[in-house]
This record gives sequence, structure tokens and C-alpha cells, in this order.
Amino acid sequence: MVIQISKFNSVLNGRPAAKEAALRIQQIVNGSAEKEDVVLDFSGVEVLTPSYADELLKALKDKYGSEKVKIVNTAPSVSETIHAISNT
Amino acid sequence: MDITFYNIYEKSSEIFNGHTINLKKCGWCDPWTMGLVCLKAIEYKDSPDKKLILPDDQDVVAYLKRMHLDWFLEELTYHEFLKLLAEKAIVERENLNIHEIMHCQFRDDFGARLSSRIRMMFRNFGMNADDESRATALVGELGNNVFDHNEGAWPTNVRGAIILGQHNPKKKQIEVVVADPGIGFRGSLKVLDPSLTSDIEAIKLGLSGVTGRVDERRGNGLRVIQDWTINKFDGIVKIHSGSGLVVVDKDGQKPQTVFPVIGTLASFVVRYK
Repeated sequence: MVIQISKFNSVLNGRPAAKEAALRIQQIVNGSAEKEDVVLDFSGVEVLTPSYADELLKALKDKYGSEKVKIVNTAPSVSETIHAISNT
Repeated sequence: MDITFYNIYEKSSEIFNGHTINLKKCGWCDPWTMGLVCLKAIEYKDSPDKKLILPDDQDVVAYLKRMHLDWFLEELTYHEFLKLLAEKAIVERENLNIHEIMHCQFRDDFGARLSSRIRMMFRNFGMNADDESRATALVGELGNNVFDHNEGAWPTNVRGAIILGQHNPKKKQIEVVVADPGIGFRGSLKVLDPSLTSDIEAIKLGLSGVTGRVDERRGNGLRVIQDWTINKFDGIVKIHSGSGLVVVDKDGQKPQTVFPVIGTLASFVVRYK
């Protein structure tokens, strides 16, 4: 299932907003992760802060497993944020 | 005389004395200085003998007006000292290199300003889209820390993040300062280590990724701020919290004990070619 992350906002900032987004994504995915990957499509996301990325990705990876959560279509600064938090 | 980050700690007794903020001789200042002025204004706010002396230099008065310092200080009941600023007329769009002070009292204010005015500030400063995204994320992270570590614990009746930004085209650098009248690094990390007595040690712990949000998987933000500022922008990160000051650049950390402030002043300076 592909989740269009920009539908949450093009500027993604802060842990409280990321917690809400993770909960919403779990509702949208609604069991389909058993059959397919959860693909987070970041096209249209212009700003991603480390705290948002950390909160969102940890919540989804804890829920579905790292191998099921895929990230696609990231702008350079967005992929740098994801890379930075993945290295910690 | 110029009052900037590079001399304010030597001249602090001339500028902050008793409950007076004395900018009379100021011939130029930078956002770091203005951030300190904001925090001292909050600290002195409820003192009956508080006083603000504005600069004699009319160019500096125009600069302070452009920053909307009068709006911020009026909130703090300094109106009787602001006549000179209130009377000063300027054309705001003539200087897009200075951004007005943004006081975001709540996280929602901050989020809204990050999405609009802070991004616009970087665009007006002439940043390209990728750098603007990175710089906005840096401000976002500094602002998040303000709310993540101070909610429920603000020591005075003034709360929130105070954001100042300035572009210096001659030096080809942009500085953004995020100040907050909160509990500071030591106040936040005391939960983790009650024996912590040094502000410098607390700042160093924070910069290393240790967080006062005990039992939560956090603490990456300041590490990313340092990494991006230094490695992507050839810049500097500065943090003054309590009586500790730590400056981080490509040569490492430089700690110093300085005059105390309420809360924290954090900034990043980014350079471009």
C-alpha cells in the first residue's frame, strides 16, 4: 500500500504531529501490511525535521517491521534527514 | 561600538547592569545580541526598577524597528521606554535581510510560522530550494526542543520560542537564533542526572544526544543540527544556557563560562558561496 505522505503536510515537523500521522497511517493500512509493503511516498514533502522522521518511522517499523516499511521519492534534504536518523 | 557575539561577553556589564538594558552606545548589533536582549528583558520584566535605554545611533534604532523589537517589548510591559522606536518610521521591505522577531508562544504558532514565514525568510535571504528545506528543518528542530523540554515547566509567566533571523550579504552568512525563557539544558537534564551542576556539562551532554526526556527514544535533533550546520553549511552552532556557552564548529567544541541567562539561546550560522 502506498501512503502519500504529503497529504499530511509539505512541512513535517515535531513529534506530536508525527505520532498522529503514524496512528492515521495504521488506520489506512488496516491489515494490508500482512500482504504488501507499506510504501511511504515522500513526493511533495519539502521539509522533514529529524524529530518528525524519527517518531514516524520508529512507530511504523515497530508496528510492521523494518523490512515492510519502504521509503520512496524523497527530495535531497528529506533523504538526508532520514539518513541522519537511521544512523543513530 | 559594535555589540555582537564576539564582544558581548566582555562588555556584558555595560549592557546588562542591575535591571537596566543599556544599548545607548550601540553602533551595530547582531541577532545573537538581540536574542540576549530578549531574554534579559524577560528576566527583568517584573522588576520595578527595570529600564531600557535605546541607542543614540538612528541607524541602529531603524534596525531595531525593522526587527519589531517594540512589539516584542510591549508584550513585556516596556512601553514607557519605547517612544523612540514607536516614533521611528521605516519602509519594511527596504531591508529583507533582517527578519522581525517571531514570538511563538505555543507549538501550533511555531508550526504555522515554520511552514510559512520562516521558509519565506530563507527564500528572501536568497537560499536555493534544497538549502531552504535544510535550514527550515534546522529551525524546526530547535523550536521543537523549546516545547518538548519546557512544557509544564516554564519558570516565569513568559513562554515560547523567540526566533530572530538575519542575512549578512557581505559576509555571505545567515544567522538564525532561537531563544526561550525555559528551564535550560541543566533544568531539562537534571531529571536524568540530579548531580549535574555545570551548565557547560549539560550543554555538552545535550549536544552528544543525551536527552532529558527519560525513557523515550529521542535525542537525535541536536546531533543533526550540528552535523548539517558544520558539514553542509560550513557553519557554527552556538548555545548559551544558564551560565554555560558552547560554540561548535569544524574545529570542535569551545566551552566558556559566561553571565547567566534565563533559559536558552541557540543559534546556527550558515555560510554560502
